[in-house]
Amino acid sequence: MQKNDQADKFIIPIGPQHPALKEPGHFEFTVDGEIVTGATIRLGYVHRGIEKATESRTWVQNLYLLERVCGICSHIHATAYCLGVERLAGLSVPPRAQAIRELVVELERIHSHMLWLGVAAHEAGFDTLFMYSWRDRETVMDILEGLTGNRVHYSANILGGVKIDVDAEQTKTILQGVDFLEKRTHHYLDVVTTDSAFVQRTAGIAVMSKAVAEHFGAVGPTARASGVTQDIRIDAPYLAYEDFPVEIVLDTAGDLKARFVVRVQELFQSYQVIRAILDKLPAGELAVTMPRRIKENETISRVEAPRGELFYYLKSNGTDKPERIKIRTPSICNFGTVPALAAGHQLADMPMILAGIDPCFSCNDRMVTIHRPADDSQTWTWEMLRQYGISYYREKER
Amino acid sequence: MIGEILKGMSITFKTMFQPPTTVSYPEVKKPVAERFRGRHELKRYDNGLERCIGCSLCAAACPADAIFVEAAENTDEERYSPGERYAKVYEINMLRCIFCGYCEDACPTEAVVLEKNYELASYSRESLIYTKDMLLVPHPADIQKTA
Repeated sequence: MQKNDQADKFIIPIGPQHPALKEPGHFEFTVDGEIVTGATIRLGYVHRGIEKATESRTWVQNLYLLERVCGICSHIHATAYCLGVERLAGLSVPPRAQAIRELVVELERIHSHMLWLGVAAHEAGFDTLFMYSWRDRETVMDILEGLTGNRVHYSANILGGVKIDVDAEQTKTILQGVDFLEKRTHHYLDVVTTDSAFVQRTAGIAVMSKAVAEHFGAVGPTARASGVTQDIRIDAPYLAYEDFPVEIVLDTAGDLKARFVVRVQELFQSYQVIRAILDKLPAGELAVTMPRRIKENETISRVEAPRGELFYYLKSNGTDKPERIKIRTPSICNFGTVPALAAGHQLADMPMILAGIDPCFSCNDRMVTIHRPADDSQTWTWEMLRQYGISYYREKER
Repeated sequence: MIGEILKGMSITFKTMFQPPTTVSYPEVKKPVAERFRGRHELKRYDNGLERCIGCSLCAAACPADAIFVEAAENTDEERYSPGERYAKVYEINMLRCIFCGYCEDACPTEAVVLEKNYELASYSRESLIYTKDMLLVPHPADIQKTA
């Protein structure tokens, strides 16, 4: 804790390394007693340079690199990349492959939302819900392992299709798991909406109006909990979402409770769409051949990741490597809302408000260019830097 | 409020009689899925000859550049695989491997297969570069190596 003499206020710095944080980020909360009056966030501690690394790898190698942008929503990154590359190369992917991709995407959404439910409950001090929801999440993890061969980085996609097929036995296991999870999800929906001790921590906390959500460009369940009708699966259907649609889940309350309700309700949509896919899985090929080189072109690819809209920009230059890949992950859109929502709340609510947007630090840490006014130049020559360094250390010695 | 506490405690009470979900690893191990991708193995034919023909397609396909293959010619005196060539050196750097299974897909003879072993921890970086002796499945002792 440090005291700021000028403003006569306490500023509590948290992070970048802090026991309460799962991933590094720096937060400064200005407090008046227990009430937070202002917050600043500094991100970028886990910038890994993935976008630059893609430029020295082939299209195929990048598929596996980009799958590792996020440890939770890995398949959706690979899918967004595949959809973009296939559009660049002018491939038409077989409908069976698209349906299987959608199946894995929805299974991954279940895994991500249940993980979030546990983490958010843990931040509220409700560790029982955390343990139970993670126990049940193992069901979907086992399904994913059985289907794709791995619990986290599934490598289900290849450029031009998918690597895995769904057989009758797999279908049976998935349906059984989904039935069990649906039963449990009804229970969780009951818990997060009726348990009075828990509702005290969520209802009316961090209320974000539709206007605020739109102003900060919030995406995904965070935005939908504030009544913003935005879901890429419905607005711009990709994969097989035209044949196997989902319904939008909205809540207008905009508080933490609404974010719980929206995410838990979205699970039911995922169960319904998984059943529909397994019921009417199109027959046919799993993949088409992908050319090694792609002629000069550019495209964008938008998908709905568990946390919101994920955006890829891809540029090819005629070789077997991309010219430029730009990724915009959903977390960075939602982070802007946190300082705005923090003011006026108890310091104890901060972990919940942060967890409410389902932040993923490492996937959101990437290069951002900020356009400053022209006169606010930050260009220093080598000599200026040297002189600054000398005088800085002289000052320090005194 | 009292009613809700009782409701919550009733769940706790019921759960007390359920078997625990946790597994006492490493004493008890959960079986992995059929499609699980773990440590690689280099397979042999039924007659004991190595399936690997040293074509380096796995090394070319590997997104993580984890595989190194050096091929050499088979001779009638020293025959390792059915074709003209065999892998003299076959190394997989397990520190680089991302277990994506692309090498498996690229292999024309189904020689490299990702098997079920996932306990790969070690004390040194050197020991995690798996050589051909470590990767190759044991030779069926009753079959002679000469074809």
